Amino acid sequence: MADARRPCRARGALVAGAALLAWALAACQALTPGSAIEAPGPRAAPSATAVPDGDVTLRLEFTDAPPMVDALVAAFEARHPRVTVEPRYKTFSDYVRSLGLTMTSDSAPDLAQYAVGMGELAAAGHVLDLAGYRAAYGWDASVPPVSLDQLTAGLTSGATGGDALFGMPAGLSMTGVYVNRELAARAGIDGPPATLGEFEEQLAAARAAGLTPLAVGALDAGGLHLWAALLNQTVRVDDYRDWVDGVAGATIETPGALAATERLVAWGRRGFVDDAANGTSQVDSTARFARGDGVFLLNGNWAAGQLADVLGDDLGFFPMPGEHAAGPTVASGFGFAFAVSSRTEHPAAAGAFLDFLASPEANVIIAEHGFLPGDPDAVPPPTGVFADIAEGHRRAVADDGITAFPDFAAPAMLDALRSGVQKLLADRVAAADFLASTQEVWRAAHPG
Amino acid sequence: MNRVSAAERWSGHVLLAAGAIVVLVPLLSVVLASVQPAGTPVVGPAWPERWSWDNYRQAWSVAGFATLVRNSLVVALGVVPATLALSAAAGYALGAMRLPGGGAVAGFFVAGLTIPVELVVVPLHHDLRGLGLTNSYPALILAEIALFLPFGVFWMRAHFRATPPSLVEAARMDGASSGTILLRVLLPLAGPPLVTLGLLVFLWSWNQFLLVLVLIQDTARHTAPAGLGFFVGQNSTDVPTLAAGTVIVMLPLLVLFAVFQRGFVTGLLRGATRD
Amino acid sequence: MRRTRGSRSAARRWRGHLYVLPALAVYLAFAVLPALRTAYLSLFDWDGVTLGRWVGLANYREVVVDPVLRRAVLNSLALVGFFSVLPVVLGLVATGLLAGHRRRGMAGYRFVLLLPQVVPLVAVGVTWRWLYGEDGLVNQALRAVGLAGVGRAWLGDFDAALVAVGLVGAWVSSGLCLMLLLSGVGRIDPSLYEAARLDGAGPVREFVSVTLPQLRGELAVALTVTTVAALAGFDLVYVTTNGGPGEQTTVPGLLIYRLAFSEGRVGLASALGVVLGCLVLALVAAVNRLSGAGR
Repeated sequence: MADARRPCRARGALVAGAALLAWALAACQALTPGSAIEAPGPRAAPSATAVPDGDVTLRLEFTDAPPMVDALVAAFEARHPRVTVEPRYKTFSDYVRSLGLTMTSDSAPDLAQYAVGMGELAAAGHVLDLAGYRAAYGWDASVPPVSLDQLTAGLTSGATGGDALFGMPAGLSMTGVYVNRELAARAGIDGPPATLGEFEEQLAAARAAGLTPLAVGALDAGGLHLWAALLNQTVRVDDYRDWVDGVAGATIETPGALAATERLVAWGRRGFVDDAANGTSQVDSTARFARGDGVFLLNGNWAAGQLADVLGDDLGFFPMPGEHAAGPTVASGFGFAFAVSSRTEHPAAAGAFLDFLASPEANVIIAEHGFLPGDPDAVPPPTGVFADIAEGHRRAVADDGITAFPDFAAPAMLDALRSGVQKLLADRVAAADFLASTQEVWRAAHPG
Repeated sequence: MNRVSAAERWSGHVLLAAGAIVVLVPLLSVVLASVQPAGTPVVGPAWPERWSWDNYRQAWSVAGFATLVRNSLVVALGVVPATLALSAAAGYALGAMRLPGGGAVAGFFVAGLTIPVELVVVPLHHDLRGLGLTNSYPALILAEIALFLPFGVFWMRAHFRATPPSLVEAARMDGASSGTILLRVLLPLAGPPLVTLGLLVFLWSWNQFLLVLVLIQDTARHTAPAGLGFFVGQNSTDVPTLAAGTVIVMLPLLVLFAVFQRGFVTGLLRGATRD
Repeated sequence: MRRTRGSRSAARRWRGHLYVLPALAVYLAFAVLPALRTAYLSLFDWDGVTLGRWVGLANYREVVVDPVLRRAVLNSLALVGFFSVLPVVLGLVATGLLAGHRRRGMAGYRFVLLLPQVVPLVAVGVTWRWLYGEDGLVNQALRAVGLAGVGRAWLGDFDAALVAVGLVGAWVSSGLCLMLLLSGVGRIDPSLYEAARLDGAGPVREFVSVTLPQLRGELAVALTVTTVAALAGFDLVYVTTNGGPGEQTTVPGLLIYRLAFSEGRVGLASALGVVLGCLVLALVAAVNRLSGAGR
């Protein structure tokens, strides 16, 4: 019996050996890694608007505002009963860290939230070009074209010859300052500040009252939101936009950026920022603020729904004030947008989902969760903190003051800014040195 | 050896007990936190006023730990038997036969004990993607087997070398083939080292993190620690559910450790060099 | 199937390699070749997709020159101190105090002290992240003994973060080191102690001249196992600090993951992987040389 087995084992070994050889050859075949073949370029979506009539399941990965995404999915499924959407949430840092791996894998989700790195993925052909849908569904009529123009990755569509489109926004985001009015009153603060100087006085008053003045989740992205909010007040908007867009010759080493960065350092030194900021994630800092720890919180409108549930009428919101009361309102924001993987088997269903995001029904859901609907006229006038946010956004848009987040400036920028701002808050790096090293990261991504 | 005074004996106990407390307090804090009513802002170890098992239900079904645990088991079931079989066969040849060049081959395996996962993940991902193998368990399983084999071969070889040569010689005299000798004579005697190796490989496979993050992108196919790693970011504020998830991820190993204490201790103390 | 003895045994001896072949094939294909591929990729500037560009040793220069990468390598060496040196020293001191005498309840202690070895590092990290929090157990304990002023968000503090992560490593490794050393002490020939005592040696000299040299093998194992664990500290850092604050707790594994998979700098990530591999090899070789290759 054992003898009968032996040739069998020998054959097994041979097969293993052959497999090994094949592997070795495969590994050596292309000695230089990668492929010289030009990237195929983005695949284009079909330009029809028909929804398939079979049962379809769409996988959706995202990182912002889980309650809103759940509500949108439920409403969409009610309208298209044969399409199921499976949302999968990841935290911001997990999402961004794994985005490249996720979108280039064979199991890429059909829909994915547009985030840092999506532009590069689009250029490499991993994201579906939606320009065909833009025309077929007529999105320009239902979504502010400005917010679609943030999503072109600077590419031209092979299908339409016009701008490419790699995402469809479900509402717009904006960062700013939340205030817990009850705690503010205890510190003698009676209204939103008109200038940065006034805001600093309020922070000092909060500190003097023994309260945490400004909660920031600098363990992940909260620190760079604070930095960007200050940059917006002292850097020329066009210079900042050029820098984020990677325009040749742009730089962050400007007097305005230095002033903003030095202000951030000063806030850390004067104890305006939560001592534990560097060890607290955005999720945690928001939860702590909701529990009554912190007079102000720096975060985006995506947290409004969660905060309003807890703090109710005590909650207020204002964009970071400028140096002068008469100056323009400038705030960072972006479309909370979804992209479609070029590997999806259901581009038509994905298109239907994206189009649903522009519907009046979706706009109402978006507004209810603190995001700014693409079409403000489609929703009832907001109340409470949502009214504060809508008003701040209206002012920023009127002043052409919506700027992109700084981490979009380079693939490595998110981590560089996260650790850099942590150092600024802890007073471990000079503002000028921080700007120099930030510019170094920018230069590595935009040579020449 | 009667030098052990009462004072010495007590100081020894105090020392060991102190160490045991330091180890246990964090673990027990997690267990206690996991039975607090959901949403309680739990900060330290506190006896729950009301024991609540809802967090486990929440973590198990809603947060998806059932799937994660199942995935981990699937991977471990692929890794453990294959590693045992390959290690036993290679260890037998390298330990009980006098192979030409056997010493060099054994040394080649031992050299692999020092390969960190970080050294292999990058090409594993890129080359396996080229072959369409990422996001699949076979690729993850093969990669884990390869990482654990150096220890497995080293371990089984050491065992077979310690087997009396007369045993093999006698069987050979009876005309047994090398395969028969392994299957009928040696393996029945190799139970304890195989169990120990199996436990260690299960442990390492269960705990593998970086390899899973890189090779498996679909979060629904993640293994337990990878799932926990992603879960902590989202739910660090809901301590009871997070704690329940943590306990769920640890529990299978703790149970195995309690049941197979002897096997584990032998393995851990004999130089288990891969984690 | 009876052949002459000589040819039969020669054939059998070669045929024995067939038993090694399957293991060797998997090991080569999924560990050795990838390791060599990493070394090869480290010589390229490659984004993971388009054609790579040969850059020779430029990536290695960047590992040395770039402050973030260099910091990561240094941090992992510091972690070796916490995962490896500190537990071994603690273990030696405890071994000296316990003097290797059998004690009742030893099996229980052994079970408890080895627990951290069995728990996934990710779960350990999640646990300690919570204990180190601003309102966590560590700060509560400090408050209880009147040291509230010392308390802080440990993992977010520039001075404390690396130490905090390192102490978690010591928590994981110390039990293993102690148990390894104790089991070694149990194997020492009692006559060696008697001889030392006849020479008039006190407990300290006895420890230095008998126990320590006899434990060389166990010390080598303890240092090797824990060093390998320390240099692969990715799991712990990923779930506790993500490398922060600043770059205080960044380790090579974290950067390799980031560089290769989200920043598209595969060559640089590979170079860092090779440096890490060499570091492990060098430290393990050093430990085994110091222990006199006693095993």
